[in-house]
Amino acid sequence: MVAGPMASGAALQEARTVTPFDPGSGLRLAIALRVAVVALTLLSARRSSACRWVGFAGSALASIVTAATAAAMLSAEAGISSHGELFLHRASGFSFTYAADGLSAWFLIVLSTLSIPIAIFSIGYFAHGPLARRTAFSAAGFNALVGAVELVFVAGDAITFLFAWELMTLAAVALVTTEHEEGDHRRAAFLYLVLSHLGTGCLIAGFFALASMSGSVSFATLLSGEVARGPMRDGLFALFFIGFGIKAGIVPLHVWLPEAHPAAPSSISALMSGVLLKAGIYGIVRVCAFGLGTPSLSWGVIVIALGGLSAVLGVLYALMQHDIKRLLAYHSIENIGIILLGLGAGMVALSYGRGEIAWIGVAASLYHVLNHAVFKGLLFLGAGTVVMATGTRQIEQFGGLLRRMPWTGLCFLIGAMAISALPPLNGFASEWLTFQAFLFGFRESPEPLAHFLFPVGGAVLALTTALAAACFVKAFGISFLALPRTAAAAGAREAPPIMLIPQALLAALCLGLGLFPGGVLKALGRVLVSLPGLPPQADAAWNGLGMATGGAAFDYVVPMVFAAALACGIGVAAALSARSGVSARRAPTWGCGGELSPQTEYTATAFSKPLMMIFQAIYRPTRRVESLGDVSPYFPQGVRYHSEIEPTFERHVYGPVLRGVLRVADSLKVIQAGSLHAYLGYVIALVVWLMLVVWWRA
Amino acid sequence: MTPVLSDALRAFGLAALQAVFLLAMAPLLKTLIKMMKARLQNRQGPPLLQGYYDLAKLLRKETVRSETASWVFVAGPRVYFAAAVSATTLVPVLISAAPLEAAGGVLLLVGTLALGRFALATAALDTGSPFGGMGSSRDMTIAALAEPALMLGLFTSGLAAGTLNLGALARSALQHGVTFHPSDVLAFAGLFIIVLAETGRVPVDNPATHLELTMIHEAMLLEYSGPDLALVEWASAVKELLYLTLLVDLFMPVGMATSAEPVALLMALVAWAGKVFVLAIAVTITESMNAKLRLFRVPELVSISLGLAFLALTIRFL
Repeated sequence: MVAGPMASGAALQEARTVTPFDPGSGLRLAIALRVAVVALTLLSARRSSACRWVGFAGSALASIVTAATAAAMLSAEAGISSHGELFLHRASGFSFTYAADGLSAWFLIVLSTLSIPIAIFSIGYFAHGPLARRTAFSAAGFNALVGAVELVFVAGDAITFLFAWELMTLAAVALVTTEHEEGDHRRAAFLYLVLSHLGTGCLIAGFFALASMSGSVSFATLLSGEVARGPMRDGLFALFFIGFGIKAGIVPLHVWLPEAHPAAPSSISALMSGVLLKAGIYGIVRVCAFGLGTPSLSWGVIVIALGGLSAVLGVLYALMQHDIKRLLAYHSIENIGIILLGLGAGMVALSYGRGEIAWIGVAASLYHVLNHAVFKGLLFLGAGTVVMATGTRQIEQFGGLLRRMPWTGLCFLIGAMAISALPPLNGFASEWLTFQAFLFGFRESPEPLAHFLFPVGGAVLALTTALAAACFVKAFGISFLALPRTAAAAGAREAPPIMLIPQALLAALCLGLGLFPGGVLKALGRVLVSLPGLPPQADAAWNGLGMATGGAAFDYVVPMVFAAALACGIGVAAALSARSGVSARRAPTWGCGGELSPQTEYTATAFSKPLMMIFQAIYRPTRRVESLGDVSPYFPQGVRYHSEIEPTFERHVYGPVLRGVLRVADSLKVIQAGSLHAYLGYVIALVVWLMLVVWWRA
Repeated sequence: MTPVLSDALRAFGLAALQAVFLLAMAPLLKTLIKMMKARLQNRQGPPLLQGYYDLAKLLRKETVRSETASWVFVAGPRVYFAAAVSATTLVPVLISAAPLEAAGGVLLLVGTLALGRFALATAALDTGSPFGGMGSSRDMTIAALAEPALMLGLFTSGLAAGTLNLGALARSALQHGVTFHPSDVLAFAGLFIIVLAETGRVPVDNPATHLELTMIHEAMLLEYSGPDLALVEWASAVKELLYLTLLVDLFMPVGMATSAEPVALLMALVAWAGKVFVLAIAVTITESMNAKLRLFRVPELVSISLGLAFLALTIRFL
């Protein structure tokens, strides 16, 4: 009689441990959906419209499944991490395994937050122009890319990870070459391929070194932090940091980024900038910061230094770009820098065992990962809409677009304000948190180096933010305001709703993530417990950010209150200036006595000229002015002005390396002469040598 | 009524009072500096209430807007004004607590002012006038250079007090009194330079000129008229008063009231007015004794400020 309730209690217990949502089935479902979508897309390739809907709507559906899985993982009370097999080939014993924890869930959410709007946008976007002919290719590639990134985030062993990583690279390269008729697109794809493989090479070397030391390929063993010791650890850090750094676009490994991102179709650029770079960040967090044992101080310093360099150089180069997609691509380098600044501050704090400060730094960087995905995705979609409407990427040829494309303009403005870290939008919240990491680190650190490093980091962040604001006043103002500068801009039309709704969604997210930073921190709290060395953090309020390590709060921010105050201020301003029944008189702008025309407007080049002069040590600008005239240079009929900044890294870092590689390749011609006999000889020599080695060992 | 709600209402009420107070005082400060400057040049100068007359006149006048402008041109002055007004609620003035100090500290203040600047600089590009672009470009350039120095200067005071919240900062400064610690002196000097730059004073910008090659802030306002112009002028004045009040809070908090007793408040009002007056004299003298710098010499000035802030930080913490 007693056994009955006991047994049923045990069964209940059993049921409780089993019934919680199993992430594995969600992931499998998402992958299966994607494979089916790719197949259907390719089957319907001849019917462009059906193909678009199947490919992209299907992709959005699969992303929803992934997002739900990740959200379920984060909302589960305990036991966030889960692992198992995704695919098993019984005959060979070969398997793909997954190991999903809080960090994976966070990056999956970041990915899905962006990939769903992008997929919806793409349904409209790929209907136009030359892209329509390549719908099937693009949709299949898009699905493959998103699926590969998902797999990267959940991979449970080195083999699965490297497979997904390579698939991700190849899918991205394929998408960059969508419009392969253009020579510079092919060149960009090639550059991307070469550098990515350099990075993959580093990763393979790193993972194999770890595997040979531990005798396993599972991440649970490899990244337990107990595999490598001593200088080996530093070597592995360097390998992984270079490998992941190339993917993340850290200066000086960034040269592929400003070429490849603009070359891809805009919705793909949004995905590449918003999420693909974050795969590199994911790797750096997973392996470099938390997978090789407690980070040493020098690693943190390297991450902060390169993060600061990326942030400042990224925004400085962005200021000089007048191609809107290149400008956004350089801003991605800047934001990766900001993400690394937070992470680096966390790593420094970890190195001297201050988990609670490290928590702030790592949380700041992961928050910025999400924010950057949202606002950069929004900006790229806006840029794509504008480029589609005008047929050019040059800011100097836009102008006056706000009147012609009011909704795109509004969304772009919100994105521009978010990336400039203006309150109450989301960029402000994560940069605020990054500042806190530096200030706390500075205040609490026992390390003299941190006392020097952290204020510099804070100043660099302040400079970056302010320069970004300048850059986006330019990007928005010159593109969307005043008079249209060309006929193409004058004839621009607003995009269809299917392209506007995703932008509105992302713009709303910019505002929501900024107004409820505490909600994001709550989620991040659950993410960060899965990382070693970080203590659980007390629950934050929904609407505010507050930072305290013992005792009183150091600083806090409640964006809702601020937003209310701002709204009141706008109300007062409107009341002061409103007078009933009188509408403003319209008059032409005073054109200095001449007629106002697009030629007299301020240009993007002129706008950024003061900064070019001030930072000329970095830009090394050159300019050439020619006066064109038949009779005499004193009576010019036209003036040709050419100005450019020196591509320092391309010319002085990669130039010599490239020449060296070519020279070595040239000298290798001696052994690769095209003679079959020689090649057979090499094979025989190799076999003999291997046999000798085996014999020697035995 | 729940205590939370009544607290919030009280805070908003105080915030409104303080905003109205600073809005009321700001035109006075602007005219005062103009007047003192005129006296130093042996001129009569405007009457003390001229700032109010100007605002009243502008608010009554007709609004004329450019045909090429869009809603951004209309939104610019309003957001600029709202940013300045909401910034006033984050800074303690008479009492050693800011009305909305629960909303955020120094970083939010800097962010708010950046929001106002962004709005105005964007709106200035909307008319298609080359002057608007020129002003916008220069204003954003100088702000970008000034931002790191401003942050470092504020961090020095904030880290010394152990908080970045302005109310708590003022209370801590009040507790410790004026120490004339070398780091305070250096940080003050650094921040004073930044305040000159951010409020568009000589040697960075000349508020009295409309000379096309040199103007910065004024160039952004050329196309504004009537109430729109009034909002911008008023907000600029508030911003200047706010920066001076910030310097007062951080470095010479003597006389600030710790409670809302009428006597203490009256004393605090006198003390605050006196301290701001002293700073206004300093601004006037700097304006009168210096020539405006070429735009490309401004980075040198700002880097002096950056250097001072670094030195202050070094002296304080190493």
